Amino acid sequence: MDPELKKYRFLQIAILLSFVLILFFSFKLQIFEGKYYHRLSEENRIKKKYIIAPRGNIYDRYGRVLANTRPAFYVSIIPALAEQKTITKIAQIFGIDTTEIKKKFKIEKNPYVAIKIVRDISFKQVSMIEEHRSELAGIEVGVEPVRNYPYADLFCHVLGYVSEITDVELKLMKEYKIGDYIGRTGIEEQYEKELSGKDGIDYVEVDVLGREVGKVAEYRPVPPVPGDDLYTTLDLELCDSTAQLLKPYPRAAVVALNPQNGEVYVLYSKPGYDPNRFVRGLKAAEWNALINSQDAPMFNRATMSCYPIGSTIKPFLALVALDKGLIEPKKRFEPCTGGLRLGNRIFGCWKIHGSLNLVEAITHSCDVYFYQLGKFLGIDNIAEILYELGFGQPTGIDLPQEKGGLIPDRNYLNKKYGRSWTEGHIYNLSIGQGDILATPLQLARAYTLFANQENVLVVPHLKLHQPPTIKKINKNIEALQTVREALHRVVLVGTGTLARVYGYEVSGKTGTAENPHGEDHALFVGYAPTEKPRILVCALVENAGHGGAVAAPLVGRIIKIFSEIEKRYSHETE
Amino acid sequence: MKQNDFRILFFSALISLIGLAMIFSTGGSNYLLKQTIWLVLGIFFSLLVSKFSVRFWSAFSFLFYLLCLLATGLVLFYASGYPRRWFNIGFFSLQPSEFTKIGTILFLASYLSERKKLEKFADFFIPLLIIALPSSLIFMEPDLGAAQIFFPIMCVMLFWAGMPFEKILIFFSPLISAFTSFSIYIWLGFMVIFGIFVYSRKKLTEILYHIIINPITGLITPLIWHSLKSYQQKRIIAFLSPWIDPKGISWQSIQSKIAIGSGQVLGKGFLSGTQKKLEFLPERHTDFIFSCIGEEFGLLGVLIVTFMYILLFYRLLRIAHETKHKFSSLVVIGILTWFWYQTFINIGMTLGILPITGVPLPFISYGGSSLLACFLAIGIVLSIQRGKY
Repeated sequence: MDPELKKYRFLQIAILLSFVLILFFSFKLQIFEGKYYHRLSEENRIKKKYIIAPRGNIYDRYGRVLANTRPAFYVSIIPALAEQKTITKIAQIFGIDTTEIKKKFKIEKNPYVAIKIVRDISFKQVSMIEEHRSELAGIEVGVEPVRNYPYADLFCHVLGYVSEITDVELKLMKEYKIGDYIGRTGIEEQYEKELSGKDGIDYVEVDVLGREVGKVAEYRPVPPVPGDDLYTTLDLELCDSTAQLLKPYPRAAVVALNPQNGEVYVLYSKPGYDPNRFVRGLKAAEWNALINSQDAPMFNRATMSCYPIGSTIKPFLALVALDKGLIEPKKRFEPCTGGLRLGNRIFGCWKIHGSLNLVEAITHSCDVYFYQLGKFLGIDNIAEILYELGFGQPTGIDLPQEKGGLIPDRNYLNKKYGRSWTEGHIYNLSIGQGDILATPLQLARAYTLFANQENVLVVPHLKLHQPPTIKKINKNIEALQTVREALHRVVLVGTGTLARVYGYEVSGKTGTAENPHGEDHALFVGYAPTEKPRILVCALVENAGHGGAVAAPLVGRIIKIFSEIEKRYSHETE
Repeated sequence: MKQNDFRILFFSALISLIGLAMIFSTGGSNYLLKQTIWLVLGIFFSLLVSKFSVRFWSAFSFLFYLLCLLATGLVLFYASGYPRRWFNIGFFSLQPSEFTKIGTILFLASYLSERKKLEKFADFFIPLLIIALPSSLIFMEPDLGAAQIFFPIMCVMLFWAGMPFEKILIFFSPLISAFTSFSIYIWLGFMVIFGIFVYSRKKLTEILYHIIINPITGLITPLIWHSLKSYQQKRIIAFLSPWIDPKGISWQSIQSKIAIGSGQVLGKGFLSGTQKKLEFLPERHTDFIFSCIGEEFGLLGVLIVTFMYILLFYRLLRIAHETKHKFSSLVVIGILTWFWYQTFINIGMTLGILPITGVPLPFISYGGSSLLACFLAIGIVLSIQRGKY
């Protein structure tokens, strides 16, 4: 055959064959399977059913579960199959509003996708649905994995909670669908991407009542991908003990971390709330009660509440004075006579201390000494060291919604008080009062400089096995050493003696933050052992009085419990 | 010289009229109006273009090619929205990739028509380069559906220009090797059968090709694939098939099959498809318009539409066969392959036998650029046909 003709015939046959193939499959769909597909299309009885992917578990540093999933019943409606009377009946059984149900219908475009109406219902409610089955077309009861927090409020602030996605969020986040849970606050929000898995899909055929008749064999289900597990630096036992120790106090915050690498053992705030309640979905009244409560239980005091830091500021002033060579450690100011006059006002001290040098002034927390040191340093030196140690900005811990606090520097004071601000403002700042505000976490981070002996600040973090993030500080080693010695003496013979732990060298600083609205807040930041500390604890107890009396013993006990846990685990691993 | 044979224009317009009816059914009167304007423009330009001579197409083919490359390159920078496919010009938008198909076919035809023999292995590489440029630019938009079309066009044009079919097969064997390599048995089977074929031809280059390049691609592909993290694999899959429904891999495919299957023999009747009404069918006026034909007109509708395509394609093939001028003949074959491939891929996708890639159904899918480009191509064929007799 002529080669031209051969090519012509070849393509002719190829074109014909391709259309034969198309017609063959059209035939198959429309003639052989036509009835089946017609039936499916009549009521579009093929339903896409999501197989919910379980959320990843959250563990503490030793692999103990802090958050997992448990099965829960839910009720859903297929809008295309449900009649008005069905919706009314369901609303009646569960005591909800029909308009609320209908609002959910509008979000999902496909009327054959089941929409979850009530979740985490009791077995009794399930049986009620089953009893009325015949009147409830388009209703189905199913089981889904939901978040479970076995320790209720113990970790509520640090873990956060999950709740159903809102319709506003749905429009912004395409990868979510109606009824999905999403992490709110805490680790749940921070690590949402890792923790949330990817739902699978099942194709099922349903009857006119919306009941599943069987699988559509032709379509293979897409298996769900479970979320990743997350190991945190937290220590369940230490957290629990901390909560026990804080029982007598209504409001408090405690941060405990490893000052060498920033691993956070405890991030506790009270009062709290039970995050399990959010799984079912809070009613408006419950939600309002939570957020309007005087005690602000939703608030993580450790990272979001800003307090004056009281006398815990004193080591920073000492450090900047020594580092810049502005004073000698032996330097004595005017002796403390219980107060210092400025104009016609007297700035008091809590005790008559007499003549003190720098180390003694920190040890006994003499206010008069620090009024004079503050005045000598001036506002700029003080603001500079506070900025350098990270005050006035979030610590960068892996948690959302962290607050930054406030440093009253020259600009701030000019703006707030005009040019008329006085030395009195510096006096106040020098003992951690007045406008300065910081979170307990910021204070803990600042003290890592004294604790780790590496001349660095360590950024706290919650995800286990993360390399530490550090910030070089570069202070004069001798200056640092002097402050450390003073901090050690605070616990040995000074205001913090109640923090002593048998067999452990503890260092730290007490603080009492005056509170214009009531009793003072008690503060203590301590670390141990002094040589190479493995734990640093910052405790703040609201309205509890003096730091030395309330916060110091608390920190001492937390350090003691830590050392016991540590000993036990080192034995176990040996 | 004979007068124009307007049969191909007539067939194309007829198919487009079916398209208009379906666009009205699936998209409503707004879409219908726009598409009608495009159709009128398309027929007008088709007639206009048919006045040019073959010499004109041949002389300026390289210039057209360069202009098309420039336009596809520019769209990457100045496109409106993502994917970066359209230029917004006032009330309408233009998609350069549609016209790039014409420019590439013209230039490839002009290159191939000047080659005497196409027997050496090297004869592949320049055509491959010619198509790789526009193809990779379009791939970056990203538009895999439009990017992939250049490969079949090149293969069929090479074949038409005289390259033996076996050569083309051997040239592409590394691709087959890569695809089959995910199952060691299938891959070994391919290597043995293909090996027997190559060794029987006793050509050293081909044998070397088979014992060096095929094993390399076959062995490396799974290694690379499995060394990727699962999210990287997912990203590649998602990138290669961006039309996959993010909420469920096969939802579109299922809905399309229900639509076509439920049409049965005579269909549910014009405007009474239930699938499309309930918004079950996504992209129903563009990529999935064939599903609605199947639903509303049943197997009868499918038969009529496919029959009209066969008529059009056979007509084009005949023109290519009867044209003695090599360049003209190659251009017609290129255009034929373009229409044919898109039709097959699109319908195959709606029937659920091919993966979902967004390829419009020629003359039927909603879209101005696609329709205009198709009619321009028809105009070029008309001008070629005029020069033939």
